[in-house]
Amino acid sequence: MHTATIRCLPTGSVQVVTGTSPHGQGHETAWAQIVADQLGCDMDAVEVLHGDTSISSIGMDTYGSRSLPVGGVALYNAAAKVIDKARQIVAHQLEVSPDDLDFADGTFTVKGSPDKEATLASVAFGAWAAHDLPDGMEPGLEATAVYDPPNFSWPAGAHAAVVEVDTETGDTRLLRYVAVDDVGNPVNPMIVDGQVHGGITQGVAAALYEEGGYDEDANLTTTTMTTYLVPSPAEVPSYETDRTVTEADNPLGVKGVGETGTIAAAPAVINAVVDALAHLGVTDVQMPATPERVWNAIQEARP
Amino acid sequence: MIPASFDYEVAESTEHAIQLLGEREDAKLLAGGHSLLPAMKLRIARPACLVDIVGLTELDYVREDGDRIAIGAVTRHKDVRDAQLLQEHCPIVSFTAGQVGDPQVRHRGTIGGSISHSDPASDLPTVLFALDAELVVRGAGGERTIPALDFCTGVFETALQEGEMLVEIRVPKLGASTGWSYVKMARRAQDWATVGVAAVVERSNGGISRAAIALTNMGATAVRARAAEQAIVDGAGIDEAAALVTEGRNPPSDHAASADFRKHLATVLARRALEEAASAE
Repeated sequence: MHTATIRCLPTGSVQVVTGTSPHGQGHETAWAQIVADQLGCDMDAVEVLHGDTSISSIGMDTYGSRSLPVGGVALYNAAAKVIDKARQIVAHQLEVSPDDLDFADGTFTVKGSPDKEATLASVAFGAWAAHDLPDGMEPGLEATAVYDPPNFSWPAGAHAAVVEVDTETGDTRLLRYVAVDDVGNPVNPMIVDGQVHGGITQGVAAALYEEGGYDEDANLTTTTMTTYLVPSPAEVPSYETDRTVTEADNPLGVKGVGETGTIAAAPAVINAVVDALAHLGVTDVQMPATPERVWNAIQEARP
Repeated sequence: MIPASFDYEVAESTEHAIQLLGEREDAKLLAGGHSLLPAMKLRIARPACLVDIVGLTELDYVREDGDRIAIGAVTRHKDVRDAQLLQEHCPIVSFTAGQVGDPQVRHRGTIGGSISHSDPASDLPTVLFALDAELVVRGAGGERTIPALDFCTGVFETALQEGEMLVEIRVPKLGASTGWSYVKMARRAQDWATVGVAAVVERSNGGISRAAIALTNMGATAVRARAAEQAIVDGAGIDEAAALVTEGRNPPSDHAASADFRKHLATVLARRALEEAASAE
């Protein structure tokens, strides 16, 4: 589950409280986009609050590619509740049926009477001023939604890696990497690309570089960034990424993206290494495929 | 990741630097800092005082000196790489300076700093060993010249006396019949060489008659592969000579490679270096 609260302030700005915990994934940006799309307001008018239990007490963190398909959908549902309450207020004020109101780009209009309209910002001001509300309606324009998805979302993709192995030294280099992923509707394509690129590099690192080493007395030996090898841009090629879009079964049609690169890259790269050495009889190389491991695998495969 | 506390002095001139080295307790020269500062952050090194010499323009030069090229000690790696005099007369030095670390390191690190640090995994000491370069050091008592081969005495240890600093590196102008190569293997661009091999050879009649071969990260300092060099003089082929470069070597085992694998790599890289040097135009 995830919770989301949307608070349309009398100033016209919008506060969003999310139970997701972004630490570099760009939730502030993507969540503001979702809310701005739904409420028809400017993205800059949306403030996303998170990561503080005194303001956001309920949520299940950020892991398992869940933030968007769970927390993002909670946000969508909260926006629907806000619009629904605003619709009741506008219907009361314009003396029309709620069903006769259209809502688009932040403005309610009356079907057949396009000159009669009310903006969401003006409704928010009136709602907090408790001015001219339907009988018995609580003042304010704010809603909270809690969402527990009926099923998982299923991001899918295919990744291909081209590596070059120096069979005399075991030195292995990643030459080309192509990734095509289906993450449903991308809310922010640049963030999606960033997540895919970062995930691929993490997977490449697992396949070729990163490893915790221990000495005979079980002391960790890889205690600095000079011995725990995180690849830099010099070690990886420019990735070629593309997308297909198959909408997931949720109101936004979105899936997670955080893990596609990591999950696919390690096996793609290792399979490429093994494939490069297949003609020598190599069937497996332990990760990370260090030059020494690759060279030893070649020696062991020799008849 | 935070160094022990230290004082910091900026040298106004070479003489001032030497004076500070003599006056200040446990002082060390800072000439770029891309090896020293990480070592200080790991507290492998904890000098009481750093004397910054990287601003000494009087030691930042590459110039002709008769049949040699003289390089000032605080010349940055990228300036060594780009020096036309070296590209023309001793290209193994400019080429190898372009192989040191990554762009950030090459724009701050200096050739004198690299050699004075005497890390056996550094590239430039190996090349200077293969060239029989000369190093000019200066102290309060004056200047003296030390063969590069005698300069590096151990891991992070040099022949510099208390209060002395390296001021100039002199490399020979290579003749038309001289071929060269430096090949190294490193896990990542920013890493020190797992193993490196420098070869400077005299080509004759389609083969090589003489070779100077030096190795990176195959012992406590850069080291010459004398047995392999002798084999070349005695008429051995490249494969045969390359197989001898590990003779007497006791390389380290670490996260990058075991000692045995380093020996294997040295043999492969020596063969490649000799082949490239022999075929160089």
